[in-house]
Parts: sequence; C-alpha cells; structure tokens
Amino acid sequence: MDRRELLQWMVAASGLTAVNRLSAQDLLTLGRDAHRATAEDIGRMAVLDAQAANSVAIAAEHIIPASATPGAIQANVTAFIDTMLGGWYPPADRDRFLRGIAELDARSMARFGQKFATGTPAQQIALLETSDAEVTAMRATSDTAANDHWFAMLKYLTVWGYCTSEVGMRDTLHTYPMPMRYDGNALVDA
Amino acid sequence: MTRDIAPVYDAIVVGSGMTGGWAAKELTRLGLRTLVLEAGRSLTPEADSREHVQPFEMPFRGLGDRRAVDARQSVQRKSVSFDEISQRFWTDDVDNPYSTPENKRFDWFRARQMGGKSVIWGRQVYRMSDLDFEANLRDGIAVDWPIRYAELAPWYDCVERFIGVSGQAEQLAQLPDGAFLPPMALNCVEQQVRDRIAARYGRERVMTIGRVAVLTAFHNGRAPCHYCGPCQRGCSTRSYFSSINSTLPAAQATGRMTLRPHSIVRALEFDPTRKRISGVRVIDAQTGSEHRYTARIVFLCASAVESARLLLNSTSPSFPNGLANSSDQVGRNLMDHIKWGGATGTIDGFTDRRVIGERPNGIYVPRFRNVASKHPDFIRGYGFQGGAGRGGWTGAARAPGIGLVFKERLTQPGPWSMTFNGYGEMLPRQSNRATVHPTLRDRWGVPSLHIEAQWSENELAIHRDMNLTASELLDAAGARNIRAHTHGPSTPGNANHEMGTARMGRDPKTSVLNGHNQAWDAPNLFITDGACMTSSSCQNPSLTYMALTARACAFAVAELTRRNL
Repeated sequence: MDRRELLQWMVAASGLTAVNRLSAQDLLTLGRDAHRATAEDIGRMAVLDAQAANSVAIAAEHIIPASATPGAIQANVTAFIDTMLGGWYPPADRDRFLRGIAELDARSMARFGQKFATGTPAQQIALLETSDAEVTAMRATSDTAANDHWFAMLKYLTVWGYCTSEVGMRDTLHTYPMPMRYDGNALVDA
Repeated sequence: MTRDIAPVYDAIVVGSGMTGGWAAKELTRLGLRTLVLEAGRSLTPEADSREHVQPFEMPFRGLGDRRAVDARQSVQRKSVSFDEISQRFWTDDVDNPYSTPENKRFDWFRARQMGGKSVIWGRQVYRMSDLDFEANLRDGIAVDWPIRYAELAPWYDCVERFIGVSGQAEQLAQLPDGAFLPPMALNCVEQQVRDRIAARYGRERVMTIGRVAVLTAFHNGRAPCHYCGPCQRGCSTRSYFSSINSTLPAAQATGRMTLRPHSIVRALEFDPTRKRISGVRVIDAQTGSEHRYTARIVFLCASAVESARLLLNSTSPSFPNGLANSSDQVGRNLMDHIKWGGATGTIDGFTDRRVIGERPNGIYVPRFRNVASKHPDFIRGYGFQGGAGRGGWTGAARAPGIGLVFKERLTQPGPWSMTFNGYGEMLPRQSNRATVHPTLRDRWGVPSLHIEAQWSENELAIHRDMNLTASELLDAAGARNIRAHTHGPSTPGNANHEMGTARMGRDPKTSVLNGHNQAWDAPNLFITDGACMTSSSCQNPSLTYMALTARACAFAVAELTRRNL
C-alpha cells in the first residue's frame, strides 16, 4: 500500500463527514491546531531581549550555517531557545545562559573592541570557537560540567531546534515527511 | 445523594482498557446487556490520535512540558512511553496520590481514559507456557496456578486472531507459537546478529523478531502499520491493538454495550444472604454525584492495583478487611518485571546501509535460563528485548566544532550498535503489598493506597545475570566495545507490568480467585486484569490477561445459563 492509498484509507476509516471533506494532506494536520496554539502562546514570551536574541541568532547561524540547505536562522532556532529558556529550564540554568550571552559581548569588547553582534564574522567565529574549546576541555573530566557550560547549552539547543524544525527535517535530515514504510536494509544514499 | 438506577444490565465491567475491552466484547457477543464503567474521559481513535504530530508542532519539540510534568506527573513521567504528546494519556499524580516508604519506591503507572493503558502499552505479546504455569508448584513457592497451558491455549488463539499479532514461529517449548500475521523484518544488522548467535548457541539461545500487536496486513477492518513510530500517541489507522481501536467498537456494534465515562467506582456492595455482589457505587468524576448500578455479574478490569484498591475499599460486616478477602491475599503478592540489565555493543560494517521508517517493535530473545538446565544462583529467568540501529544527530550534538563541517556531521549516520535489555521474572511474596492508606485520599475522596514492594535476592541475581549473558550474546555477534548496562535494577512497577494482587489458586484459604477468575467469596465477581496472576513469568503479560478474560467470560455466561449465578 503506498502513501496515497493509506491516506485515502485513513479518510474513509475515520467515518466523519467533516473529515471526509478534507484533503489527505489536511488530514495529516488534524489534531495539530491545539499544539500550534500553545506553541504561539509560549513563543510570545520573551526571555531574550532584542540584543540577546540577536546575539543568539548570530551565534546559532555560525554553529549551523546556511549552505545548500537552510541554516539556524531560517529554522527559527532563536524562538525555540527563547521558549526553552522561558518555559522549560529551571531559573538557574536560564540565568547561566543569559550571563554567558552577556559574557560573549564582554569578551568581544576585550578582544576586538566591539560587541559580539557588530564584530566581523571571523571575529565572531573566533569567539565561539574559544568557547567551544572550553567545553571540549571540560569534557575530558566531566560530561555533566561540560554540558552545563552556557555555550554547550547554546550549541545543544541550536542543534535540537534545528534538527526538529520543519526545514531542518525536510531539507537537511530528510526525515520529513514520514516515509510510511519500513526498510531495514536501505542504502544510505537511497 | 445517591440515585438508584434501575437494574437493566446483565453485566457490569469496571474498566475499559486491555481486559475491560475484552470483557465488554465477549459478554455483549454472548448476549449480555453490559455496562462499562470508565473512570476517565471518552477517547476515540478519530479525534484523539496524535501520532503524526511533528516535533516542530510541539512547543518543546518533544522534550516535554517539563514544568507542568514536574508539578503534576512526577511518577507517570518515568514510563518509557511518556512523552510530550502521550503525556495526556497518563493520570495526574496530584489528583491520584499514593504513598510508598521513602527507600522502597514503586512506580505506579496509571491511565484513566477510554482504553486505559491499552492506549499507551508496549504492544509486545507473548504466550506463557507450562514452564510458567507449573513453576510455583515445581519450586514450592506461593500457590500453584489452577490452570495449565492446554486450558488457555485455545483462548490465546482466540485473542490473537482477533487483535492481530505479527511474529515469527520458532517452535520453542518455553514460548509457544501463536496465530501470527507476517513478521516485521529484522534490519540488516539484526539479521547478522541473529545468525551469529545461532551459530554459537544453536537452539539454546534464539533471537527472533518481537511478537507485537501491530498489524502487518489488513485485519478485521483495521489497516496495517505505516511505520510512523510513536504508537503511544494513538493510532488513527487503528493499526496497533487497543480497546478503543478494536474490542470496544466490536462491543458497540452488538448494540448491547453502554459505555459510561467519568465513572469512578468507589466500592462494590455485597449481599451476605445471597453471597453475591449486589451493587456498584460510582462517583461521577465531573459532578461528584454518586450513582448505584446493579447487574447479575461484575467483571473487575480496573488494572491490578486499582482492582485491589477497590476490593480493599469495599468493606462490610462480612468482609471487614476488604471484599473477597477472606484469604487475606488481596493487595499482596504484588509483582512486576525487573529491568535495566543488559548490554550494548558496536557492530562493524554495514556503513552503506540504514533503516527507513520507524518499526514499532524490536527483537526478542526468549528465556533460556532454567529451561534445559538449572542455574546455580536463581530460579526462573528472563528474556531480552532490544535491537540494532545507527546513531543520528542526537549523538553528534555534543561533538566538538561549529560551522559547515559540524553541520555535515549532523547528517551522517553514526556507527551501528546492538542492544539487549532484559525483562526478568519476579517471584510472588506476601510482603510486597498494597494497603489502604489511613488518611490519604484522591481528589474524589476515595482512600488511596500505600504500596510497599522490593526485589528479592532472586530478582537481583537475575538482573546481574542479564548483564553477563547480554555481553555473551554481543560477543557471539562479533560486537566491539561491549558495555554491560551500569545502572542498577529498575524501580519496581517501572516495567508497567504490575500484577498478582488478587491471585488465582486452587484453595479459597490461600487465593482470591478460582481457576475461572471467579472470586471464591463472591461467585458473581470475576477479576481478569493483572491482579489474577499467580506468578509473573518473564513474558510481557497483557496477552495472558486478555486470554484469561475471554475464557472467564465464556465461563460466566455458561454459569448464568445454568442458573448458577
């Protein structure tokens, strides 16, 4: 049974006239509205002020840059990070993250005489690589301590936000839409 | 105020989940007007399935609403099937409290909704064999099962044919084959692992594809699985078995079922003259009003610990310690399966291969300890579940570097790894028990439970052996970097296989139920959920609960016909 047949069957099996009028694609979105509404509510919470949000967006794009496929900014990673800071992390974690973003500016001032956001891409990357190296060095003794580093939080949230975004899943990871079949012996390039 | 509702029902079924659905289906099929009482809300596959919600449609992208969960579901969250979407299918721990000793935690997973825990179960289905049914007698432990495999086999057939079970026949005495739909495929690495285990261990240790209540072909009006993955969020194609996907619609189609959601059964009434259950006391969860229903027979299918709670809360001059509890066994012998032993290893090769789609199933290694020979350290045994896969971006997220090279790394599949996770048998012990809490009550004023359970040395020895033999299997498979699991044994209850709290037996003095799941003390009461289990075996138990339910229904209706009830 191919995907189209399956969707048609799902429409037929649901037995609701309202559902029967929906296209197969619409049917896939059934049940999503509630989630979307919640997402929008939480998305309006602004833990990050404009300056911090800008720094986060720039840093995230350096971690996962646009190439032939979208980068972190196109995947709207900053909004996800804001959601996590506002509604998920305990305050201590959130504050450590925010202090880290502020520290990024302080370090940029000390090294390059200007804030992170106004530096050149090369300067920005140099600052982020310094932080990444700090995390890597900490990892030698403690994964937990390394993961608590503000840059490890930023990087992990960037990866998570990107790899669970629609563009990331569709264009980069090719995990969306669902394959609707199982093959336990497929070629990697298939 | 109690409103007495006219007795228009032949049967009342308490609970609409795994076994309640089967009781409803069988009793209505056999002609009984049946009232099904469900404590939670209504749920339908059409309106409530959420399996296709994508991560980007979830506020927390699958990481869950941590603050809400911390506040309201601190126990339920510990289930492997609990996630940002399936969260709604588990109870609120604040509304439904219970207590344990501080150093003896018990994870009590509960689901109050149409379909109960069948909506969120693991779907693995294995028959028990006479290795299990004879175990207590052979070992001189607890009491003997009042039935043997031959008596249950036709009911296993009946259940499997209706629910649809995919699996591979293996001709193993300790794990009887069933009426299987085509098996799901092992992936390329699992096939090699299976073959290499067979080369070293022959028929002693066998790896096969899991037997799972997920369809691989059209079956009874339900569609085959489309491999989207998260079954615990529901299934709009009704491809996995749950009562809302399968048995309840069948019962509904007879026209003889009345389904009442939001109906919390508070107590069962006992008529000492007739020695029968004479009424069922129900609190309407939405209004708080109390109702009373009557019927000729009552099937208790509320899940093992809830059913014990209901009996213990149903006191009367005849049964001051709880209904049907003259044996003092109600609430005792609480069992689960011990987990978290096993091992993981890396498998070389197959770098040009990957898996497409999400198979809602893994591998199974049937019990091999104390089957042909006797282990010096423990009785009974365990099986392994698990599988092979390649790591994805989550594995790369902590890797060093930023930029294009790092981004590329996120898209590359990691090495193949193979994992075995043990599920071990727990012995019944009287000291592992649930009792009524002296003061704690749920949101509706129903007395809560105090649960006390811990592993014995036998389970702990089983857990240690899982690490050893899982490593041996990986060695046979040619795995590298073999790592035995380092966490200790699971918390009792965490396997979500709680059972034994109103056991079957051969003697009213030492058991609650006879060989037909009928209460010795109240012949029109049948208990067919996990409470009835006399021993736990190591196989996932739901298939056995369902087979026992179907068998008990046939018996109950025959007894009604013979005017014995």
